[in-house]
Amino acid sequence: MSQSTTHPSTPSRLNLIWRKWRFHLNVLLLLIPLGFMPKYFSEAALFRGDEGLGQRDVGEIQVGPWSLRLAEFRNEAPRQEGPAGPMKHFNAALCQRCIGQVKATYLRIGKPRSLRAAGVIFFGSPYRMGALLPVPSKTQPDAELWITLEGWDGSMHQASIPLSQASPATVAWLNTQGTQR
Amino acid sequence: MSKKSRSKLWFLVHSWLALPIWFFVLIVCVTGTLAVVSQEIVWLANPEMRASKPTDDAPLLGYEQVVAAIRQAQPLTQVQSITRPDESHFALEVRVTYPDGRPDTVYVNPYSGVIQGSAPTFNFQAFTRALHGWWLVPFTNGFSWGWYLVSFLGLPLLASLVTGLVVYKRFWKGFFRPTLRIRHGARIFWGDFHRLSGIWSIWFIAVISITGTWFLIQALLFDNQISISSEPVLPVVARESVPLSADGTAPPLLNLDRALEIAQQRIPGLEASFINLPGNAYSHLEISGRGWYPLMFQTATLNPYDGDVAALRLLSDRTTLEFVTESMRPLHTGDFGGLWIKLIWFFFGLILSMMVLSGLLIWTKRTALATANAFKRSQKPSRGARAARSLQPSMGSESSEGSL
Repeated sequence: MSQSTTHPSTPSRLNLIWRKWRFHLNVLLLLIPLGFMPKYFSEAALFRGDEGLGQRDVGEIQVGPWSLRLAEFRNEAPRQEGPAGPMKHFNAALCQRCIGQVKATYLRIGKPRSLRAAGVIFFGSPYRMGALLPVPSKTQPDAELWITLEGWDGSMHQASIPLSQASPATVAWLNTQGTQR
Repeated sequence: MSKKSRSKLWFLVHSWLALPIWFFVLIVCVTGTLAVVSQEIVWLANPEMRASKPTDDAPLLGYEQVVAAIRQAQPLTQVQSITRPDESHFALEVRVTYPDGRPDTVYVNPYSGVIQGSAPTFNFQAFTRALHGWWLVPFTNGFSWGWYLVSFLGLPLLASLVTGLVVYKRFWKGFFRPTLRIRHGARIFWGDFHRLSGIWSIWFIAVISITGTWFLIQALLFDNQISISSEPVLPVVARESVPLSADGTAPPLLNLDRALEIAQQRIPGLEASFINLPGNAYSHLEISGRGWYPLMFQTATLNPYDGDVAALRLLSDRTTLEFVTESMRPLHTGDFGGLWIKLIWFFFGLILSMMVLSGLLIWTKRTALATANAFKRSQKPSRGARAARSLQPSMGSESSEGSL
Protein backbone atom coordinates (compact mmCIF):
# COMPACT_ATOMS: atom_id res chain seq x y z
CA MET A 1 0.00 0.00 0.00
CA SER A 2 2.77 2.40 0.83
CA GLN A 3 5.68 2.87 -1.48
CA SER A 4 8.11 1.53 1.06
CA THR A 5 6.91 -2.03 0.40
CA THR A 6 8.13 -1.75 -3.17
CA HIS A 7 11.35 -0.18 -2.03
CA PRO A 8 13.60 -2.89 -0.60
CA SER A 9 16.74 -0.83 -0.04
CA THR A 10 17.17 0.98 3.26
CA PRO A 11 16.11 4.61 2.86
CA SER A 12 18.44 7.35 4.03
CA ARG A 13 17.85 9.20 7.26
CA LEU A 14 16.64 12.31 5.44
CA ASN A 15 14.30 10.17 3.42
CA LEU A 16 12.92 8.70 6.64
CA ILE A 17 12.27 12.11 8.09
CA TRP A 18 10.50 13.14 4.91
CA ARG A 19 8.43 9.94 4.96
CA LYS A 20 7.50 10.43 8.54
CA TRP A 21 6.55 14.09 8.34
CA ARG A 22 5.38 14.75 4.80
CA PHE A 23 1.71 14.42 5.71
CA HIS A 24 2.17 16.72 8.64
CA LEU A 25 3.46 19.51 6.46
CA ASN A 26 -0.12 20.58 5.84
CA VAL A 27 -0.23 21.73 9.42
CA LEU A 28 1.54 24.70 7.88
CA LEU A 29 -1.77 25.58 6.22
CA LEU A 30 -2.75 26.79 9.67
CA LEU A 31 -0.28 29.61 9.22
CA ILE A 32 -2.65 31.17 6.68
CA PRO A 33 -5.47 32.03 9.14
CA LEU A 34 -2.89 32.87 11.79
CA GLY A 35 -1.26 35.31 9.40
CA PHE A 36 -4.58 36.88 8.46
CA MET A 37 -5.86 37.11 12.01
CA PRO A 38 -4.52 40.64 12.74
CA LYS A 39 -6.06 41.79 9.45
CA TYR A 40 -9.35 40.11 10.39
CA PHE A 41 -9.51 41.88 13.72
CA SER A 42 -8.51 45.25 12.32
CA GLU A 43 -11.27 44.90 9.71
CA ALA A 44 -13.75 43.98 12.43
CA ALA A 45 -12.67 47.07 14.38
CA LEU A 46 -13.06 49.24 11.28
CA PHE A 47 -16.63 48.01 10.70
CA ARG A 48 -17.38 48.39 14.39
CA GLY A 49 -16.46 52.05 14.11
CA ASP A 50 -13.50 51.89 16.48
CA GLU A 51 -11.63 54.21 14.15
CA GLY A 52 -14.55 56.60 13.82
CA LEU A 53 -16.30 57.03 10.48
CA GLY A 54 -13.39 55.59 8.57
CA GLN A 55 -9.65 55.27 8.36
CA ARG A 56 -9.13 58.86 7.24
CA ASP A 57 -11.25 61.80 8.29
CA VAL A 58 -11.72 64.34 5.51
CA GLY A 59 -13.29 66.86 7.85
CA GLU A 60 -16.48 68.86 8.32
CA ILE A 61 -17.85 70.23 5.06
CA GLN A 62 -20.32 73.08 5.00
CA VAL A 63 -23.11 72.54 2.48
CA GLY A 64 -25.43 75.55 2.42
CA PRO A 65 -27.12 75.84 5.82
CA TRP A 66 -26.11 72.28 6.70
CA SER A 67 -22.86 70.45 7.18
CA LEU A 68 -21.58 66.90 7.18
CA ARG A 69 -18.47 65.11 8.26
CA LEU A 70 -16.87 63.05 5.54
CA ALA A 71 -14.38 60.21 5.87
CA GLU A 72 -12.65 57.71 3.65
CA PHE A 73 -13.71 54.31 4.91
CA ARG A 74 -10.36 52.93 3.83
CA ASN A 75 -7.34 55.11 3.32
CA GLU A 76 -6.51 53.49 0.01
CA ALA A 77 -7.12 53.56 -3.74
CA PRO A 78 -10.55 52.58 -5.08
CA ARG A 79 -11.24 48.86 -5.04
CA GLN A 80 -12.25 46.92 -8.09
CA GLU A 81 -15.86 45.80 -7.59
CA GLY A 82 -16.31 43.22 -10.30
CA PRO A 83 -18.03 44.55 -13.44
CA ALA A 84 -18.92 47.81 -11.65
CA GLY A 85 -15.31 48.91 -11.92
CA PRO A 86 -13.26 50.80 -9.33
CA MET A 87 -15.30 52.03 -6.36
CA LYS A 88 -14.37 54.22 -3.44
CA HIS A 89 -16.20 53.84 -0.14
CA PHE A 90 -16.96 57.10 1.70
CA ASN A 91 -18.75 57.42 5.01
CA ALA A 92 -20.47 60.54 6.26
CA ALA A 93 -22.32 61.89 9.27
CA LEU A 94 -24.86 64.72 9.12
CA CYS A 95 -24.67 67.46 11.70
CA GLN A 96 -26.97 66.73 14.62
CA ARG A 97 -29.41 69.58 13.95
CA CYS A 98 -29.74 68.88 10.22
CA ILE A 99 -30.70 65.22 10.65
CA GLY A 100 -34.42 65.98 10.64
CA GLN A 101 -34.18 68.34 7.70
CA VAL A 102 -31.96 66.55 5.20
CA LYS A 103 -33.81 64.11 3.00
CA ALA A 104 -30.90 62.73 1.03
CA THR A 105 -27.16 63.04 0.59
CA TYR A 106 -25.38 62.43 -2.70
CA LEU A 107 -21.80 62.21 -3.87
CA ARG A 108 -20.44 62.67 -7.37
CA ILE A 109 -17.17 63.37 -9.15
CA GLY A 110 -17.73 66.54 -11.19
CA LYS A 111 -20.56 69.01 -10.85
CA PRO A 112 -24.04 67.47 -11.17
CA ARG A 113 -26.25 69.02 -13.83
CA SER A 114 -29.40 68.47 -11.77
CA LEU A 115 -30.69 66.85 -8.62
CA ARG A 116 -31.61 63.78 -10.65
CA ALA A 117 -27.98 63.35 -11.60
CA ALA A 118 -26.60 64.16 -8.16
CA GLY A 119 -24.59 60.93 -8.07
CA VAL A 120 -24.66 58.04 -5.65
CA ILE A 121 -26.97 58.29 -2.67
CA PHE A 122 -25.83 57.60 0.87
CA PHE A 123 -27.37 54.71 2.79
CA GLY A 124 -27.65 54.14 6.49
CA SER A 125 -28.17 56.08 9.64
CA PRO A 126 -27.45 59.84 9.41
CA TYR A 127 -24.84 59.26 12.12
CA ARG A 128 -22.94 56.92 9.88
CA MET A 129 -23.98 56.60 6.30
CA GLY A 130 -22.03 55.10 3.47
CA ALA A 131 -21.80 55.44 -0.28
CA LEU A 132 -19.83 53.57 -2.90
CA LEU A 133 -18.59 56.13 -5.39
CA PRO A 134 -17.58 54.90 -8.85
CA VAL A 135 -14.17 56.30 -9.80
CA PRO A 136 -13.44 55.57 -13.46
CA SER A 137 -9.72 55.11 -14.02
CA LYS A 138 -9.76 57.94 -16.58
CA THR A 139 -10.90 60.49 -13.98
CA GLN A 140 -8.71 63.60 -13.99
CA PRO A 141 -6.60 63.75 -10.81
CA ASP A 142 -7.59 67.41 -10.34
CA ALA A 143 -11.31 66.56 -10.38
CA GLU A 144 -13.69 67.79 -7.71
CA LEU A 145 -15.92 65.81 -5.42
CA TRP A 146 -19.43 67.26 -5.24
CA ILE A 147 -21.71 66.81 -2.27
CA THR A 148 -25.41 67.44 -2.77
CA LEU A 149 -27.86 67.69 0.10
CA GLU A 150 -31.57 67.58 -0.59
CA GLY A 151 -33.94 68.94 2.07
CA TRP A 152 -37.38 67.74 3.03
CA ASP A 153 -38.52 71.27 2.20
CA GLY A 154 -37.51 70.69 -1.42
CA SER A 155 -34.33 72.79 -1.25
CA MET A 156 -31.00 71.65 -2.63
CA HIS A 157 -27.52 72.66 -1.51
CA GLN A 158 -24.18 71.78 -2.98
CA ALA A 159 -20.54 71.99 -2.06
CA SER A 160 -17.36 70.65 -3.56
CA ILE A 161 -13.89 69.77 -2.41
CA PRO A 162 -10.89 68.78 -4.51
CA LEU A 163 -10.56 65.03 -4.90
CA SER A 164 -7.02 65.41 -3.60
CA GLN A 165 -8.48 66.60 -0.32
CA ALA A 166 -11.19 63.94 -0.21
CA SER A 167 -8.85 61.08 -0.97
CA PRO A 168 -5.12 61.54 -1.63
CA ALA A 169 -4.83 57.77 -2.12
CA THR A 170 -7.34 57.94 -4.98
CA VAL A 171 -5.45 60.77 -6.65
CA ALA A 172 -2.19 58.89 -6.28
CA TRP A 173 -3.83 55.89 -7.90
CA LEU A 174 -5.28 58.03 -10.72
CA ASN A 175 -1.79 59.39 -11.39
CA THR A 176 -0.49 55.86 -11.92
CA GLN A 177 -3.39 55.26 -14.34
CA GLY A 178 -2.02 58.06 -16.53
CA THR A 179 -0.01 55.80 -18.78
CA GLN A 180 -3.09 53.79 -19.70
CA ARG A 181 -5.09 56.86 -20.58
CA MET B 1 -8.03 -5.20 -14.40
CA SER B 2 -8.86 -7.93 -11.94
CA LYS B 3 -11.54 -7.39 -9.37
CA LYS B 4 -9.02 -7.51 -6.61
CA SER B 5 -6.63 -4.98 -8.05
CA ARG B 6 -9.53 -2.72 -8.87
CA SER B 7 -10.74 -2.69 -5.29
CA LYS B 8 -7.16 -2.13 -4.22
CA LEU B 9 -7.04 0.89 -6.48
CA TRP B 10 -10.28 2.23 -5.02
CA PHE B 11 -8.84 1.71 -1.61
CA LEU B 12 -5.72 3.64 -2.54
CA VAL B 13 -7.79 6.48 -3.91
CA HIS B 14 -9.83 6.52 -0.71
CA SER B 15 -6.72 6.60 1.44
CA TRP B 16 -5.08 9.36 -0.49
CA LEU B 17 -8.02 11.73 -0.83
CA ALA B 18 -7.73 13.55 2.43
CA LEU B 19 -4.38 12.31 3.57
CA PRO B 20 -1.96 14.93 2.30
CA ILE B 21 -4.14 17.69 3.77
CA TRP B 22 -5.64 15.80 6.69
CA PHE B 23 -4.99 18.48 9.26
CA PHE B 24 -6.52 21.21 7.15
CA VAL B 25 -9.60 19.05 6.55
CA LEU B 26 -9.78 18.29 10.26
CA ILE B 27 -9.69 21.94 11.29
CA VAL B 28 -12.26 22.88 8.67
CA CYS B 29 -14.53 20.13 10.04
CA VAL B 30 -13.99 21.19 13.65
CA THR B 31 -14.55 24.90 13.00
CA GLY B 32 -17.64 24.08 10.94
CA THR B 33 -18.97 21.98 13.80
CA LEU B 34 -18.38 24.86 16.20
CA ALA B 35 -19.97 27.33 13.81
CA VAL B 36 -23.21 25.32 13.86
CA VAL B 37 -23.70 25.99 17.55
CA SER B 38 -21.78 29.28 17.76
CA GLN B 39 -24.96 31.22 18.48
CA GLU B 40 -25.77 28.85 21.35
CA ILE B 41 -22.23 29.13 22.70
CA VAL B 42 -22.53 32.92 22.80
CA TRP B 43 -25.94 32.47 24.45
CA LEU B 44 -24.40 30.32 27.17
CA ALA B 45 -21.56 32.74 27.75
CA ASN B 46 -23.60 35.90 27.58
CA PRO B 47 -26.76 36.31 29.71
CA GLU B 48 -27.61 39.54 27.86
CA MET B 49 -28.45 37.48 24.81
CA ARG B 50 -31.17 35.51 26.61
CA ALA B 51 -34.86 36.23 26.29
CA SER B 52 -36.11 35.69 29.78
CA LYS B 53 -39.82 36.09 30.32
CA PRO B 54 -40.75 38.63 32.99
CA THR B 55 -43.89 36.61 33.77
CA ASP B 56 -45.13 33.26 32.51
CA ASP B 57 -47.87 34.73 30.37
CA ALA B 58 -46.00 37.77 29.08
CA PRO B 59 -46.87 38.34 25.42
CA LEU B 60 -44.27 39.08 22.76
CA LEU B 61 -44.01 42.72 21.82
CA GLY B 62 -44.80 43.82 18.29
CA TYR B 63 -42.03 45.37 16.24
CA GLU B 64 -43.47 48.86 16.61
CA GLN B 65 -43.47 48.48 20.40
CA VAL B 66 -39.86 47.29 20.29
CA VAL B 67 -38.77 50.35 18.33
CA ALA B 68 -40.78 52.59 20.66
CA ALA B 69 -39.13 51.00 23.71
CA ILE B 70 -35.66 51.58 22.26
CA ARG B 71 -36.56 55.15 21.38
CA GLN B 72 -37.78 55.76 24.89
CA ALA B 73 -34.65 54.34 26.49
CA GLN B 74 -32.22 55.98 24.06
CA PRO B 75 -33.99 58.79 22.18
CA LEU B 76 -31.03 59.55 19.91
CA THR B 77 -30.17 55.99 18.91
CA GLN B 78 -31.18 55.07 15.36
CA VAL B 79 -32.59 51.63 14.58
CA GLN B 80 -31.64 49.96 11.29
CA SER B 81 -33.00 46.45 11.53
CA ILE B 82 -34.56 43.95 13.88
CA THR B 83 -33.93 40.22 13.78
CA ARG B 84 -35.99 37.75 15.72
CA PRO B 85 -33.82 34.60 16.00
CA ASP B 86 -35.44 31.23 15.29
CA GLU B 87 -35.29 29.98 18.83
CA SER B 88 -37.46 31.73 21.40
CA HIS B 89 -34.74 31.70 24.06
CA PHE B 90 -32.76 34.28 22.10
CA ALA B 91 -33.27 38.00 22.58
CA LEU B 92 -34.02 40.18 19.55
CA GLU B 93 -30.94 41.41 17.74
CA VAL B 94 -31.30 45.03 16.76
CA ARG B 95 -28.78 46.86 14.61
CA VAL B 96 -28.49 50.44 15.75
CA THR B 97 -26.24 53.47 15.31
CA TYR B 98 -25.30 55.85 18.08
CA PRO B 99 -24.96 59.63 17.65
CA ASP B 100 -21.15 59.31 17.81
CA GLY B 101 -21.31 57.29 14.59
CA ARG B 102 -20.68 53.91 16.16
CA PRO B 103 -22.77 51.04 14.77
CA ASP B 104 -23.78 48.36 17.23
CA THR B 105 -25.91 45.28 17.64
CA VAL B 106 -27.95 45.28 20.81
CA TYR B 107 -29.90 42.50 22.46
CA VAL B 108 -33.47 43.53 23.22
CA ASN B 109 -35.82 41.53 25.39
CA PRO B 110 -38.75 40.49 23.15
CA TYR B 111 -41.24 40.69 26.05
CA SER B 112 -40.22 43.92 27.76
CA GLY B 113 -38.32 45.85 25.09
CA VAL B 114 -35.45 46.39 27.52
CA ILE B 115 -32.04 46.83 25.88
CA GLN B 116 -30.14 44.10 27.70
CA GLY B 117 -26.71 44.82 26.31
CA SER B 118 -24.46 45.10 23.29
CA ALA B 119 -23.04 42.24 21.32
CA PRO B 120 -19.54 41.44 22.61
CA THR B 121 -16.65 43.13 20.81
CA PHE B 122 -15.26 39.76 19.86
CA ASN B 123 -17.92 38.26 17.62
CA PHE B 124 -17.40 34.54 18.19
CA GLN B 125 -20.12 33.63 15.72
CA ALA B 126 -18.64 35.70 12.92
CA PHE B 127 -15.13 34.56 13.74
CA THR B 128 -15.84 30.82 13.62
CA ARG B 129 -17.79 31.33 10.41
CA ALA B 130 -14.98 33.33 8.85
CA LEU B 131 -12.42 30.76 9.90
CA HIS B 132 -14.50 27.88 8.64
CA GLY B 133 -15.84 29.62 5.55
CA TRP B 134 -12.81 31.39 4.13
CA TRP B 135 -9.88 30.60 6.39
CA LEU B 136 -9.88 34.31 7.36
CA VAL B 137 -8.53 35.32 3.96
CA PRO B 138 -10.05 38.78 3.29
CA PHE B 139 -12.46 39.45 0.44
CA THR B 140 -11.02 42.22 -1.70
CA ASN B 141 -12.31 41.74 -5.23
CA GLY B 142 -14.97 39.04 -5.45
CA PHE B 143 -14.62 35.90 -3.37
CA SER B 144 -11.51 35.44 -1.25
CA TRP B 145 -9.09 32.68 -2.23
CA GLY B 146 -9.62 31.24 1.22
CA TRP B 147 -13.23 30.59 0.26
CA TYR B 148 -12.03 28.63 -2.78
CA LEU B 149 -9.53 26.76 -0.65
CA VAL B 150 -12.19 25.60 1.81
CA SER B 151 -15.07 25.02 -0.58
CA PHE B 152 -12.84 22.97 -2.84
CA LEU B 153 -12.76 20.38 -0.06
CA GLY B 154 -16.34 19.48 -1.00
CA LEU B 155 -14.96 17.51 -3.93
CA PRO B 156 -12.51 15.21 -2.09
CA LEU B 157 -15.14 14.79 0.63
CA LEU B 158 -17.68 13.62 -1.91
CA ALA B 159 -15.08 11.37 -3.50
CA SER B 160 -14.20 9.97 -0.07
CA LEU B 161 -17.83 9.09 0.49
CA VAL B 162 -18.17 7.33 -2.85
CA THR B 163 -14.86 5.46 -2.71
CA GLY B 164 -15.45 4.63 0.94
CA LEU B 165 -18.73 2.96 0.07
CA VAL B 166 -17.12 1.12 -2.84
CA VAL B 167 -14.27 -0.32 -0.77
CA TYR B 168 -16.54 -1.14 2.14
CA LYS B 169 -18.24 -4.06 0.45
CA ARG B 170 -21.83 -4.70 1.46
CA PHE B 171 -21.70 -1.70 3.76
CA TRP B 172 -25.45 -1.96 4.41
CA LYS B 173 -24.77 -5.04 6.50
CA GLY B 174 -23.05 -2.71 8.93
CA PHE B 175 -26.42 -1.22 9.78
CA PHE B 176 -27.71 -4.55 11.03
CA ARG B 177 -24.51 -5.82 12.60
CA PRO B 178 -22.80 -2.79 14.08
CA THR B 179 -19.24 -3.64 15.02
CA LEU B 180 -17.09 -1.61 17.36
CA ARG B 181 -14.35 -3.77 18.85
CA ILE B 182 -12.89 -1.97 21.79
CA ARG B 183 -10.49 -4.54 23.22
CA HIS B 184 -8.53 -5.46 20.11
CA GLY B 185 -6.08 -2.62 19.99
CA ALA B 186 -6.25 0.89 18.65
CA ARG B 187 -5.94 -0.05 14.98
CA ILE B 188 -9.01 -2.32 15.08
CA PHE B 189 -10.96 0.15 17.14
CA TRP B 190 -10.34 3.06 14.80
CA GLY B 191 -11.08 0.90 11.76
CA ASP B 192 -14.41 -0.18 13.22
CA PHE B 193 -15.14 3.36 14.32
CA HIS B 194 -14.35 4.75 10.88
CA ARG B 195 -16.66 2.28 9.15
CA LEU B 196 -19.48 2.45 11.68
CA SER B 197 -19.62 6.23 11.84
CA GLY B 198 -19.12 6.35 8.09
CA ILE B 199 -22.24 4.39 7.23
CA TRP B 200 -24.40 6.24 9.72
CA SER B 201 -23.30 9.59 8.38
CA ILE B 202 -23.67 8.80 4.69
CA TRP B 203 -26.53 11.31 4.46
CA PHE B 204 -24.62 13.96 6.38
CA ILE B 205 -21.41 13.63 4.39
CA ALA B 206 -23.46 13.75 1.20
CA VAL B 207 -25.24 16.93 2.36
CA ILE B 208 -22.06 18.65 3.51
CA SER B 209 -19.99 17.71 0.48
CA ILE B 210 -22.67 18.61 -2.07
CA THR B 211 -23.51 21.92 -0.39
CA GLY B 212 -19.78 22.59 0.07
CA THR B 213 -19.23 22.01 -3.63
CA TRP B 214 -22.10 24.39 -4.31
CA PHE B 215 -20.21 27.10 -2.41
CA LEU B 216 -17.34 26.54 -4.81
CA ILE B 217 -19.67 26.79 -7.81
CA GLN B 218 -21.32 29.87 -6.31
CA ALA B 219 -17.96 31.64 -6.03
CA LEU B 220 -17.01 30.62 -9.56
CA LEU B 221 -20.31 31.93 -10.91
CA PHE B 222 -20.03 35.19 -9.01
CA ASP B 223 -16.43 35.86 -9.91
CA ASN B 224 -17.23 35.26 -13.56
CA GLN B 225 -20.24 37.56 -13.36
CA ILE B 226 -22.72 34.80 -14.14
CA SER B 227 -26.06 35.29 -12.41
CA ILE B 228 -28.74 32.65 -12.03
CA SER B 229 -31.08 34.98 -10.14
CA SER B 230 -34.60 35.49 -11.42
CA GLU B 231 -35.21 38.28 -8.94
CA PRO B 232 -35.95 41.56 -10.71
CA VAL B 233 -33.94 44.61 -9.71
CA LEU B 234 -36.23 46.88 -7.75
CA PRO B 235 -36.02 50.60 -8.53
CA VAL B 236 -35.88 53.01 -5.61
CA VAL B 237 -39.04 54.60 -4.23
CA ALA B 238 -40.13 57.07 -6.89
CA ARG B 239 -39.56 60.72 -6.08
CA GLU B 240 -43.30 61.36 -6.55
CA SER B 241 -44.32 58.85 -3.92
CA VAL B 242 -42.08 60.29 -1.22
CA PRO B 243 -44.38 62.76 0.51
CA LEU B 244 -43.37 66.37 0.74
CA SER B 245 -43.64 68.04 4.07
CA ALA B 246 -44.71 71.58 4.71
CA ASP B 247 -42.54 72.12 7.76
CA GLY B 248 -39.37 70.79 6.19
CA THR B 249 -39.01 67.71 8.37
CA ALA B 250 -39.26 64.03 7.58
CA PRO B 251 -42.79 62.63 7.24
CA PRO B 252 -43.73 59.82 9.63
CA LEU B 253 -43.03 56.28 8.53
CA LEU B 254 -45.63 53.56 8.34
CA ASN B 255 -46.36 51.82 11.64
CA LEU B 256 -44.36 48.58 11.65
CA ASP B 257 -47.24 46.46 12.94
CA ARG B 258 -49.42 47.81 10.14
CA ALA B 259 -46.61 47.03 7.67
CA LEU B 260 -46.45 43.48 9.01
CA GLU B 261 -50.22 43.13 8.60
CA ILE B 262 -49.93 44.21 4.96
CA ALA B 263 -47.08 41.77 4.39
CA GLN B 264 -48.99 38.92 5.99
CA GLN B 265 -52.04 39.64 3.86
CA ARG B 266 -49.91 39.26 0.77
CA ILE B 267 -47.81 36.34 2.04
CA PRO B 268 -50.09 34.00 3.98
CA GLY B 269 -48.31 32.14 6.76
CA LEU B 270 -45.39 34.59 6.85
CA GLU B 271 -43.61 34.55 10.21
CA ALA B 272 -41.73 37.81 10.06
CA SER B 273 -38.32 37.34 11.60
CA PHE B 274 -36.43 40.16 9.96
CA ILE B 275 -37.39 43.80 9.53
CA ASN B 276 -35.07 46.06 7.60
CA LEU B 277 -35.93 49.72 7.97
CA PRO B 278 -35.38 52.02 4.99
CA GLY B 279 -31.71 52.95 4.44
CA ASN B 280 -32.63 56.44 3.19
CA ALA B 281 -35.59 58.53 2.09
CA TYR B 282 -35.88 56.67 -1.20
CA SER B 283 -35.45 53.12 -0.01
CA HIS B 284 -38.00 50.53 1.01
CA LEU B 285 -39.02 48.73 4.14
CA GLU B 286 -38.34 45.01 3.98
CA ILE B 287 -40.12 42.33 5.95
CA SER B 288 -39.01 38.75 5.61
CA GLY B 289 -39.52 35.43 7.26
CA ARG B 290 -40.06 31.76 6.70
CA GLY B 291 -43.22 30.10 5.52
CA TRP B 292 -44.05 26.42 5.23
CA TYR B 293 -40.70 25.65 3.62
CA PRO B 294 -38.16 26.31 6.34
CA LEU B 295 -35.11 26.58 4.11
CA MET B 296 -36.03 29.83 2.42
CA PHE B 297 -37.15 33.29 3.28
CA GLN B 298 -40.03 35.16 1.68
CA THR B 299 -39.83 38.92 1.53
CA ALA B 300 -42.27 41.76 1.17
CA THR B 301 -40.82 45.10 0.10
CA LEU B 302 -43.01 48.04 1.03
CA ASN B 303 -43.14 51.73 0.39
CA PRO B 304 -42.40 52.97 3.93
CA TYR B 305 -44.77 55.94 3.67
CA ASP B 306 -48.02 54.55 2.28
CA GLY B 307 -47.50 50.79 2.68
CA ASP B 308 -47.74 50.12 -1.04
CA VAL B 309 -46.27 46.70 -1.79
CA ALA B 310 -43.43 47.39 -4.20
CA ALA B 311 -42.25 43.80 -4.55
CA LEU B 312 -42.82 40.33 -3.20
CA ARG B 313 -40.34 37.52 -3.27
CA LEU B 314 -42.25 34.30 -2.68
CA LEU B 315 -41.30 30.65 -2.71
CA SER B 316 -43.27 30.30 -5.91
CA ASP B 317 -41.21 33.05 -7.54
CA ARG B 318 -38.10 30.93 -7.41
CA THR B 319 -37.08 28.90 -10.41
CA THR B 320 -36.37 25.22 -9.82
CA LEU B 321 -32.68 25.96 -9.98
CA GLU B 322 -33.01 28.70 -7.37
CA PHE B 323 -35.10 26.42 -5.19
CA VAL B 324 -32.24 23.96 -5.13
CA THR B 325 -29.36 26.41 -4.88
CA GLU B 326 -30.98 28.64 -2.25
CA SER B 327 -31.57 25.58 -0.07
CA MET B 328 -27.88 24.76 -0.10
CA ARG B 329 -26.70 27.17 2.56
CA PRO B 330 -29.24 26.27 5.28
CA LEU B 331 -28.65 22.60 4.54
CA HIS B 332 -24.95 23.15 5.09
CA THR B 333 -25.28 25.14 8.30
CA GLY B 334 -28.31 23.39 9.82
CA ASP B 335 -29.87 26.66 10.95
CA PHE B 336 -33.35 26.14 9.58
CA GLY B 337 -35.33 24.35 12.23
CA GLY B 338 -34.30 25.42 15.67
CA LEU B 339 -32.06 23.92 18.27
CA TRP B 340 -32.64 20.23 17.57
CA ILE B 341 -31.59 20.39 13.96
CA LYS B 342 -28.50 22.33 15.03
CA LEU B 343 -27.67 19.68 17.61
CA ILE B 344 -28.02 16.93 14.99
CA TRP B 345 -25.71 18.87 12.67
CA PHE B 346 -23.30 19.44 15.54
CA PHE B 347 -23.26 15.75 16.47
CA PHE B 348 -22.61 14.59 12.93
CA GLY B 349 -20.07 17.37 12.51
CA LEU B 350 -18.16 15.89 15.44
CA ILE B 351 -18.46 12.42 13.91
CA LEU B 352 -17.15 13.73 10.61
CA SER B 353 -14.20 15.38 12.36
CA MET B 354 -13.51 12.10 14.12
CA MET B 355 -13.64 10.29 10.80
CA VAL B 356 -10.87 12.47 9.45
CA LEU B 357 -8.84 11.76 12.55
CA SER B 358 -9.58 8.02 12.61
CA GLY B 359 -8.76 7.80 8.91
CA LEU B 360 -5.40 9.32 9.64
CA LEU B 361 -4.77 7.08 12.63
CA ILE B 362 -5.57 3.97 10.60
CA TRP B 363 -3.26 5.12 7.86
CA THR B 364 -0.43 6.00 10.22
CA LYS B 365 -0.60 2.65 11.94
CA ARG B 366 -0.73 0.78 8.69
CA THR B 367 2.14 2.76 7.21
CA ALA B 368 4.21 2.24 10.30
CA LEU B 369 3.69 -1.49 9.89
CA ALA B 370 4.36 -1.50 6.19
CA THR B 371 7.55 0.48 6.72
CA ALA B 372 8.60 -1.87 9.48
CA ASN B 373 7.94 -4.82 7.21
CA ALA B 374 10.14 -3.33 4.54
CA PHE B 375 12.94 -2.96 7.05
CA LYS B 376 12.52 -6.49 8.25
CA ARG B 377 12.88 -7.76 4.72
CA SER B 378 16.04 -5.77 4.14
CA GLN B 379 19.37 -7.51 4.83
CA LYS B 380 20.63 -5.57 7.78
CA PRO B 381 18.58 -5.78 10.96
CA SER B 382 18.03 -2.20 12.02
CA ARG B 383 16.05 -0.01 14.36
CA GLY B 384 13.14 -0.48 12.02
CA ALA B 385 13.15 -4.22 12.56
CA ARG B 386 13.00 -3.80 16.27
CA ALA B 387 10.11 -1.45 15.80
CA ALA B 388 8.44 -4.05 13.65
CA ARG B 389 8.79 -6.66 16.34
CA SER B 390 7.24 -4.39 18.90
CA LEU B 391 4.36 -3.75 16.53
CA GLN B 392 3.91 -7.45 15.82
CA PRO B 393 0.83 -8.08 17.98
CA SER B 394 -1.45 -5.94 15.87
CA MET B 395 -0.11 -7.34 12.61
CA GLY B 396 -2.56 -10.18 12.36
CA SER B 397 -5.44 -7.80 12.37
CA GLU B 398 -3.83 -5.86 9.55
CA SER B 399 -4.77 -8.40 6.94
CA SER B 400 -8.45 -7.77 7.52
CA GLU B 401 -8.11 -4.31 6.04
CA GLY B 402 -6.86 -5.70 2.76
CA SER B 403 -10.06 -7.62 2.28
CA LEU B 404 -12.21 -4.59 2.77
